[in-house]
Amino acid sequence: MSQNPLRLLLDVDNRFQRDRDQTPAFLHRRDRRFALDCEQQGISPTPAHWLDHMQRLSGPGSADQAGRTALRQWRRINSGFAAAGALFGVLTMAGLLFYDGGQRINITVLLAFVLLQLLLALATTAQSIMGWQPWRWLSKRLSIPPPGSALAPLQPALMARAGHTGGVAFAFTSLLTLLILLVIQDLAFGWSTTLDTAAQGYHRLLQTIAAPWAFVWPAAAPSQELIEATRFFRAAPTSAGTTPERWGQWWPFVVMLWVTWVLVPRMILLALSHWLTGRKARQLLHSHPGMQALLYRMETPTLDTGNQHNDAADLPDVRTQAKISELCNTRHLICWAGAGEPELPRQLTTHNSQILKAGGRASLIEDDHVLATLATDLAKETSPAVILVTRSWEPPTGELCDFLDQAMELWPAGSRVMILPLANDANQSPKNHLVQPWLRFTERLPEGFATVALLPLSPGAPYQSAGASTS
Amino acid sequence: MTQPPVFAVVGHPNKGKSSVVATLSQNDAIAIALEPGTTRASQRYPLTVDGRQLYTLTDTPGFQRPRRVLQWLEAHSLSASDHPDTVRAFVLQHKGDERYIDECELLSPIIEGAGIIYVVDGSVPYSAEHEAEMTILRWTGRPSLALINSIGPDDYSDVWQAALGQFFQVVRKFDAVRAPFDQHLSLLRTFGQLEPHWEQPLDEATLLLSEQRNQRQRQAASMIARALEDLMSYQEKRTLTLDQVASTSEATLADILRDRWYKRQRRREQSLRIDIEHLYQHQRITRQEAELEWANQHDLFSEDTRQHWAVSKKYLATAGFGAGAMGGAGVDALTFGSSLGTGALVGGLIGAAGSYFYGDRLLLPALNIGPLQNGLQSASFGPVQDSQFGYVILGRAVDHWWHISHRNHAGRGLLALEPADQHWLEQLDKTSRREIQRTLDRCRKQRPLNHSQRQILALSIAQAMAAYDNWRLNRG
Repeated sequence: MSQNPLRLLLDVDNRFQRDRDQTPAFLHRRDRRFALDCEQQGISPTPAHWLDHMQRLSGPGSADQAGRTALRQWRRINSGFAAAGALFGVLTMAGLLFYDGGQRINITVLLAFVLLQLLLALATTAQSIMGWQPWRWLSKRLSIPPPGSALAPLQPALMARAGHTGGVAFAFTSLLTLLILLVIQDLAFGWSTTLDTAAQGYHRLLQTIAAPWAFVWPAAAPSQELIEATRFFRAAPTSAGTTPERWGQWWPFVVMLWVTWVLVPRMILLALSHWLTGRKARQLLHSHPGMQALLYRMETPTLDTGNQHNDAADLPDVRTQAKISELCNTRHLICWAGAGEPELPRQLTTHNSQILKAGGRASLIEDDHVLATLATDLAKETSPAVILVTRSWEPPTGELCDFLDQAMELWPAGSRVMILPLANDANQSPKNHLVQPWLRFTERLPEGFATVALLPLSPGAPYQSAGASTS
Repeated sequence: MTQPPVFAVVGHPNKGKSSVVATLSQNDAIAIALEPGTTRASQRYPLTVDGRQLYTLTDTPGFQRPRRVLQWLEAHSLSASDHPDTVRAFVLQHKGDERYIDECELLSPIIEGAGIIYVVDGSVPYSAEHEAEMTILRWTGRPSLALINSIGPDDYSDVWQAALGQFFQVVRKFDAVRAPFDQHLSLLRTFGQLEPHWEQPLDEATLLLSEQRNQRQRQAASMIARALEDLMSYQEKRTLTLDQVASTSEATLADILRDRWYKRQRRREQSLRIDIEHLYQHQRITRQEAELEWANQHDLFSEDTRQHWAVSKKYLATAGFGAGAMGGAGVDALTFGSSLGTGALVGGLIGAAGSYFYGDRLLLPALNIGPLQNGLQSASFGPVQDSQFGYVILGRAVDHWWHISHRNHAGRGLLALEPADQHWLEQLDKTSRREIQRTLDRCRKQRPLNHSQRQILALSIAQAMAAYDNWRLNRG
């Protein structure tokens, strides 16, 4: 499991990038499932657990290589800073302690250098906290980090960390150099300044500087006598009355000065930069839009509205061979399922029309009666035909099919049925899409038995009551 | 534990039962046709939350022989108390009988405990011929609700309402194709009121559906924001060898790159359309929309597209002022306020002036030819330097989103995206205007957005979507 906040941030960001093209529904299902599994197992669904789960499912080698590369790059930068710091540490200390037996090594110069180091260290941290990046042009040119990387907002903190790593290496190797030089050479320290400073004032300054270690190692806090005895002026190269070993008595102070005001602050600030980087990485992870979306997906139940079933392609065959035929002249009419109510068009009603009702509200016995009546009447005709008036908008049902099946059995051979679908406004033709199902209905009946006909249009024709003229 | 409620959607053939189910289950892959008998078997559409069913809609075939069924029932019943058992007996006896296959399919879920949703078409006249069906349903003794759907343009719903009231506990009008989402939820709540223990699951379902819709709107805003960023910052690049440099004129190269640039931009816009449609579970939409196109070499879009979707110069000036002022405020911050806000004012004025003067010109992105390096030369086209491009993309995307989010899954018609005039964006609040303008500026300068800027853009676009919705509502 990824414990390092930086690696976690990179890995999670990489996962979110990979999820970019996934559908929201899939992501929701996946992450909600993970949250529910965690709940069952009593585990908290943290980002680290989530990432671990994703990587486990993806199998070995699924870890983010770009993230690994970015972290390796930063490790290399840190190592580079450390190496450079170590080298400069040796060179700087060797330079500061250069002593050819002539001049003394000026403690005041050492103090100034330590102050400079301290200020640089503090500035590095302050700069990272404020997010100021004076070296941005360089990192941009070197593509550190690559464009769009999740590490971009961490750049100041990471640079501060690298800087402090170099600073610690610098302080450490320079301390080692100091100790080695102390052992292998006799160093003569003294203090010197152009300012008209009395030894007393200088002593007070050094006492303040040495305060952190004076109680632990009193010998490392220079006495006033030592200060008075080791002042030198370049214009007066020899200091009469000072024994040569007296010049070397400064070394404990120099060592503790370096340890306390260079090495320790750098180490503290390095630790602080590590902590700040981790905290910032956790903050970035928490405020990452992908993380907020992930938490939402884990917390919110998935909703499936029942959209899995797909039969859109399974549509009935609507190819139609049958054609609309002409309405033949017959006096036998059946109004099916309330068709022709309240009025039938006048064209259908002649003085001797036989208008019968079946289907719909009529009972099945009444239907049988209609069939029997027509069977008797049609038997007397040479070309038996019946007009079956229907409502075009009420599609043919099984009941009509049964009725016509019975009619075929009962009526004389050669009888024909003309299905006449009426529009809601009987003066208008029914819409084509309403007629088509009727045509296909006749195709399903034995050939030649039933056809579909339409009423010739005669606008303004008065209506005839369906029940007014029955024979 | 009580079983989750099941609702059998029943009725006469071709009255829109499948349309009602398609809309409520947000499934545009249910076969719907103006052909009786399109639904030949009952089909269950469960609504599940984390795999737990809250309710199920069952689409059924229509009644084919109701009078014959009723005759059978009446012949086998002694009193009203045995009606439900008699219906059960009918189904048991006629299972596998070809003549009653539809009746058995539609009555089976009801005798197993489903509530009845009886669908009629309110656009055709009431017909007492449906009474046999309604009587059979009443015999089942199950809680029932009648829905008056409207397939055609006419309206006979009042007559239907009065008649259905005699057979059903509740009668509601519901246009499966046009009903707004609030009505879907209201209808589902009504389903819950049919039985006391159905109320809780239906309330939970409506709450979750409502939350899902809000979440979809937020996701749509993020998708549009991402596409806007992609489209505004896209640069078409090509690396040329020395031979190619010699054989291709600058004008030809510009044409090739511009052509590729447009093609890619169109593809990206299309992928946004599909993402939004899939987000709202529309998988089968046929869409008609004017392509991003340009009229001549000096114009990014045809005059029509520009007039319809681009924002006015006044709008650009105000948004530009806001964006410029934000930049200028940085100067004030650096001087710890000693500039007394003049940074913001000057920045604002520069932004406003720039936007105003360039606002009516849709400039093409320029062709850039890089220096010769290692025998290769790079040429690039884009990103577009005119923020109007972003507003056109935004206008088209928000319009498409609006149509999709308001489209019911029963709708099978062509989605024709007609251009609207530009005034809708002017209802947007100043902060959102400014944020959108700032993002467009960043993108055209190829400055990548960070997470927080992306979030702000998505929020601003969500505001723009709300403004558009409001504008549509008030436009009527």
